[in-house]
Amino acid sequence: MISRHKISRRQALRASAGLAAIAAVGAPSILHAQTRTLKITTWGGKWGDVMKATVLPAFEKEFKCTVSADQAFPFVPKLQASPRNDPIYDVLHTNSNEQWSSLVEGLVMDKITAKEVPNVADVYPYAVSDKIVGVTIFTSAIGLGFRTDKGLAKPTSWKDLADPKLAGSRGGYIIPVNSLGQAHFMMLGKVYGKGLTDLDAAYKALETLKPIKLVDFTGQMEKMLLSGEVSMGVIHDSGVYRYDGQNQPVDFAGPSEGVLALEQVLNVTPGSKVKDLAFGYINYMLRPDVQKLLAEAVWYSPASKKVKLDAKYDARLLTTPAKVATLIQPDWKWYNARKEDIDARVTKILKG
Amino acid sequence: MSGATNKRPFDAGHAAYLALNILLLVFLLAPIAIVLIFALNPTPFISFPPVGVSLRWFEKFFASDEFMNALWLSLWVASVVLALSVLIGGACALALVRGCLPGRTFLTAFFMSPLMLPAILTGLALFQAYLLVGIGRPVWGLILAHTLVAVPYVIRTTLAVLHNFDRRIEEAAAVLGASPARVFFEVTLPLIRPGVFAGGVFAFIVSFDQFPVSLFLVVPKGETLPVVLFNYMKFDLDGAIAAASMVSILLALSVVLVLERLIGLKAYVKL
Repeated sequence: MISRHKISRRQALRASAGLAAIAAVGAPSILHAQTRTLKITTWGGKWGDVMKATVLPAFEKEFKCTVSADQAFPFVPKLQASPRNDPIYDVLHTNSNEQWSSLVEGLVMDKITAKEVPNVADVYPYAVSDKIVGVTIFTSAIGLGFRTDKGLAKPTSWKDLADPKLAGSRGGYIIPVNSLGQAHFMMLGKVYGKGLTDLDAAYKALETLKPIKLVDFTGQMEKMLLSGEVSMGVIHDSGVYRYDGQNQPVDFAGPSEGVLALEQVLNVTPGSKVKDLAFGYINYMLRPDVQKLLAEAVWYSPASKKVKLDAKYDARLLTTPAKVATLIQPDWKWYNARKEDIDARVTKILKG
Repeated sequence: MSGATNKRPFDAGHAAYLALNILLLVFLLAPIAIVLIFALNPTPFISFPPVGVSLRWFEKFFASDEFMNALWLSLWVASVVLALSVLIGGACALALVRGCLPGRTFLTAFFMSPLMLPAILTGLALFQAYLLVGIGRPVWGLILAHTLVAVPYVIRTTLAVLHNFDRRIEEAAAVLGASPARVFFEVTLPLIRPGVFAGGVFAFIVSFDQFPVSLFLVVPKGETLPVVLFNYMKFDLDGAIAAASMVSILLALSVVLVLERLIGLKAYVKL
């Protein structure tokens, strides 16, 4: 039996010559495939370091393409300004609020399903819920960061931020420009009123938080907590956990009313010329090995149910259905529709 | 007795003048001093008062490929912008003063208009224009954009020199037999050089520190230093930002000093 399948030297040479001929004929198309470029947006910081050092090179190698990763904000205005039929990005990575505003302008797709991206079948329901445009690949939990060396009890409620003892040492965001600030504003409506859309209750609650130190970026809030300029502030869990092992007197608390989801969302632009590659990239980002690598590098909770993180990360991140159930997803479509009015009102309230 | 005769009476006006100058200097230099303090403070966050002196943020800045690539790109772009601005701006100023052009006032306003338009709009408009004609965002597109906002500085400083220019010197050279080209290179150019190069210094600094125009025109792996610093700040607000600022300030200062040495900007200041 074995001898029948033996290949002679002559046959081997013929087969090689045939393969070489096929390769030569097919070379232009292969070359074309190899030089395709996928244009994406991505974050900077540690996330960007891991993406550039490991994740993107591996993707380029596997998919025989090059990835042009833009880390320079602002992404959405650049996408808006580029032609719809030849967008500047193929894959848009932003938080959820910007995906919704992009959808309104027809800049991104409505939904990403398992049909286009098979690994979508393995994500937690929140990652593709009706509050999401595109697909969530990671999430952080927005809660309260606090100093452990100031004699403060670990906060258990969002109301703890209004404690008069924290006057001047509590931290928040410039709401018009920061999605954590916007999410926290909606949470005030839920905690002090009838729900996330109770604007009157939220405005009233915002008054009680004064005086409050406001920042533009989460990175600034991290540093204000580290420096002790702020004793308690609104922040996402990864912004505190990333200092794990550095002997910093800061910790994160998820309030009992629930933590807000700060989703990392990927979406494809309808005019992309390399849609298959764009879907392939999202599928790749949802692979358990890629999810684990990035989750443990930056302390983001993976959206894939199939990921098994190391014990240290598993204990703190949202990696079980029960933990994921504590996530509250704001309705960004509703918020964006009222953003101008809200911006004007909150600016007036916090101006003093 | 002699001491008493030499003693000048207290001059309140002079004292107020001195105090105002000192206040202005403090106002101008205090931010630089604060940046230096942050750059030398070893804590992983910007804090005051400092807890020590360390060069760790300078080390981080110089060890980062991202920062270094951005720094070299910014220097290269600014150098090319300097050269282009001097050529274009100098020529425009000469044409405006000597060219007997119709609508000279309008043309002067037109050349100055990039200074009146918000730079972010200039960047956005060029970004759209580049994409519409299908050239993408090449580095020469960035250079052109920077040149557009830098040229008015050269025009303005050159015009100032040309308005004080004694044309009889040129006429004397011509009467003595010098060709128009020789008059230009040996008489006109040396006399307007301080104004042109003072504008060039502005052009270099405007390009090197340019953020709003660059924001839309830089490409991945081809970002200028101000853009890289802005993005860095969103995620890592540490002393590396302050170290980068110090390096930028020192580089800009070096360029001014080198040009002063080479062409003597003091001559222009005296005009």
